[in-house]
Amino acid sequence: MSKLLAVAALAAGAALLVSLPSAPDTPRTPAPVGVAAETSLHRSISAAQARLRRTPADFTTWAALGSAYVEQARVTGDPAYYAKAQGALETSLRHGPDNGWALIGLGALANARHDFATARDLAQRAVTALPDTASARGVLADATTQLGAAAEATEAVQRMLDLEPGVPSFTRAAYDLEQHGRVDAAREALERALEASVAPSDVVFCRYHLGELAFDNGDPEEAARQYDAGLSADPRDVTLLQGKAKVAAAAGRWDDALAGYHDLVDRVPLPQYRHEYANLLRASGRGAEAAEQFSLLDKQFALIAAAGGQDDLTASAVAADRGDAAAALTLASAEWSRRHHPLVADALAWALHLHGRDAEALDLAEVAASSGWRNAVFAFHRGTVLAALGRRAEAATALDTALAINPHFSFTDAGAARATLAGLR
Amino acid sequence: MSAPLTARRATRVGAALAAVGATAVAAGLFGAPAGASSHREAPLIAGDPAVDNTDLYAFVSPDHPDTVTLIANVSPFQEPNGGPDFFPFATDARYDLNVDNDGDAKADLTYRFTFKTEDRRGKATFLYSSGPVTSLDDENLLFRQTYSLDVLDGRGNARNLVRGAKVAPSNTGPKSMPDYTRLRDQAITAIPGGAKAYVGQADDPFFADLRVFDLLYGGDLSEVGQDTLKGYNVNTIALQVPRKWVALKGDEKRNPVIGVWADTERRSLERSPGKHEARGEWVQVSRLGNPLVNEVVVPAGLKDRFNALTPDQDGKVEELVARVTDPEVPRLVESIYKIPAPKGKRDDLAEIFLTGITTKAGGPVKADLNSQLDNQDVDRRKFTPSEQLRLNTAVAPAGEPNRLGVLVQDNQGFPNGRRLGDDVLDIGLQALEGAAVNGVVQALAAGDKVDANENAFGTTFPYVALPNNTAVNAGATAVAIEPTAGASGLPTTTLLGGSLAVLLIGAGAWVLRHRAGAQASPTE
Repeated sequence: MSKLLAVAALAAGAALLVSLPSAPDTPRTPAPVGVAAETSLHRSISAAQARLRRTPADFTTWAALGSAYVEQARVTGDPAYYAKAQGALETSLRHGPDNGWALIGLGALANARHDFATARDLAQRAVTALPDTASARGVLADATTQLGAAAEATEAVQRMLDLEPGVPSFTRAAYDLEQHGRVDAAREALERALEASVAPSDVVFCRYHLGELAFDNGDPEEAARQYDAGLSADPRDVTLLQGKAKVAAAAGRWDDALAGYHDLVDRVPLPQYRHEYANLLRASGRGAEAAEQFSLLDKQFALIAAAGGQDDLTASAVAADRGDAAAALTLASAEWSRRHHPLVADALAWALHLHGRDAEALDLAEVAASSGWRNAVFAFHRGTVLAALGRRAEAATALDTALAINPHFSFTDAGAARATLAGLR
Repeated sequence: MSAPLTARRATRVGAALAAVGATAVAAGLFGAPAGASSHREAPLIAGDPAVDNTDLYAFVSPDHPDTVTLIANVSPFQEPNGGPDFFPFATDARYDLNVDNDGDAKADLTYRFTFKTEDRRGKATFLYSSGPVTSLDDENLLFRQTYSLDVLDGRGNARNLVRGAKVAPSNTGPKSMPDYTRLRDQAITAIPGGAKAYVGQADDPFFADLRVFDLLYGGDLSEVGQDTLKGYNVNTIALQVPRKWVALKGDEKRNPVIGVWADTERRSLERSPGKHEARGEWVQVSRLGNPLVNEVVVPAGLKDRFNALTPDQDGKVEELVARVTDPEVPRLVESIYKIPAPKGKRDDLAEIFLTGITTKAGGPVKADLNSQLDNQDVDRRKFTPSEQLRLNTAVAPAGEPNRLGVLVQDNQGFPNGRRLGDDVLDIGLQALEGAAVNGVVQALAAGDKVDANENAFGTTFPYVALPNNTAVNAGATAVAIEPTAGASGLPTTTLLGGSLAVLLIGAGAWVLRHRAGAQASPTE
């Protein structure tokens, strides 16, 4: 049996080696930076493959290849790379039992697949094996953040910062600070990440999140400046184009926003974008097209599930927005049984509200708010729940807060917030 | 590669992967998280090539023997592709060249380079230059860096030597930089008192077939002879200073030995409420003394820790010392090639890596070559073994440098400091096999079969070759390949009255002792 497994592993390894795209030629002429970054990742993967042909038992290179596949999945948005990553990382573990590098890669993979409990276990084993390696703390920080273990996450981030100040630790510090409502400190951390960024892809990441931080805190003009600065590094980057489309909607340029999202969902199989597009269509009075996008979303979630991914949080928000309150509650409850991140508490609060269970909803909304995160959506949901409970003054305060944090927090709900407020006064 | 992508500082072998991985993470062509959304996926294995020390050189300047030249290279595997890629120094980092002249494993002098960027690109372009760049002040050069150089004493008191000095740019190809020599000449900065500095791009002077290390991972030595680093560039920090500047008590006659290491530091960030600081403590993120230490000495699981250690901590890390005195490579060589590994505790390696070659620390290599203990004014009670590149500056430059350095009685070469042309891989492999006490291992005498760099080194400061400007994988090399050091290989016949092998470093010691009268060797 074990022999069979070994043969299968070898075959799988061989399949990994041959099934990859070969590295495109190095560009000779100035090319968009994103293209260069793409070929760099291909080069990194080919280099690992070349080495594994010579040293097929080299577990560190198997781990490196697996981690590169995880990055490749992140960069291309193609979940098919998850399976390749898993194959390479498991091969690494077979040749080097419990080796920390494979555990880091598997942890990153589990995080990418939203299996955060597994990711935390793997990260803790990786930290034991490699106590001075920052990326092990990074996997731990990502997992504990998403599980809602905020104190543990903060500790992992600080340890990562002290082990290796740099783009990975600064960007994680920024997210940690933002979730605690420390917007200025989060911005400073992202600015430090930007300063430390050399690779255009890192510049893009930092610019996008500086833009997001500004947008989410009610400053779409500053957000636009950050997105534009990022686009000079990579004119085709979809995250920045999503930012630009949001800014267009915030400025009332609906046609630009719709065109931007239309392009995005064409290019990237990401439910978040299609969900936002559907809401934008709805807000523009194009209900039939919105319905079409919602039905495409169903298929997308099925594909993700088939690839071993799982995103009940987004799925719950989608269900809520298309009027399927039962599914929204089922999905949010399932996610809440797995993890207690403030975003999940908020989604569950909203799903409960849609069922008229507003007392329970308020408890969850308070959990989300207790993180300290300056989050307009949390405040909108909480205000709406309070209004349903007849606590009008508190409801008005919460809805005011939502609109004060970011008057453009949602294509559809910002208007709803204003309408509810008007009714309360 | 001997370290995975996830190691903090890539080793030479690992850097090929790590460097490209660094540019590949985060948003690429599509720049979106895969499949699912709603949690933020930040770069994880970004690496940090800008502050990644790859090699350190220290030698008495051949054309100015009253000075010593220190060269630290960072940011390896820069591919000259004439495209959008260029390779700035980090602006929130410190690049340090440290000198320990009293052997206490603490820096008595730190030459610290810090950088500023002037970015003239605006929103219009992400390109480096907007036309041919014919001088460092050319308006076509859109991205420029300058540096300050300070020198710190052992108590941390800083004195500025240079401000606003110009960095030579990344060579982005013959069209945009038709005469790189001119740019480099302009970037050589004079320092009052007889010193000079060069900071900018250069051909990576390291030459080796890194596939040699495949044997560590189950491969073999059958495929060697290809310079794995050929065609790539690095960022170079070169400093030439009078020998007396770095000597203990400023007396290079009585105290000619110095220990050198390079390190880089980045600032942390303190996120705790109430004591939040966007710029917290400085953290050492990379460190380098002797070549190949990361490959052959430091175990994989310790690499990140080693890069954070200061030399005075080396001796306290038992696993590290254990790996010096009980290294893995000879055992692997024995298992594969049936070449017996030297028996017992390897005090010879401790002497080479941790104390310098001296008769005063009880080591088995009986010679006084390059330990601070041989400085006449040293306080021996404070001597602390540590990993440094040690140089006896009293050994005059060789007329015809030999790539095998001390192995073949050229005592100006590695491990007495390190010159650009020293074949550290072949020397290091032999040293690990016990050559310092038992003589050369003939079966491995060919080493990696890469004996010289592909580009000739210069005869004047900064000595490194000009950066390559054609793509590594383009199949065309514009530069002629010339050996840079004496072409002699290891002697393969008997020597020293019929002994089977050269006594390698032992032979060097023999030379020292027998030339004691003529040699300015300290405290013989």
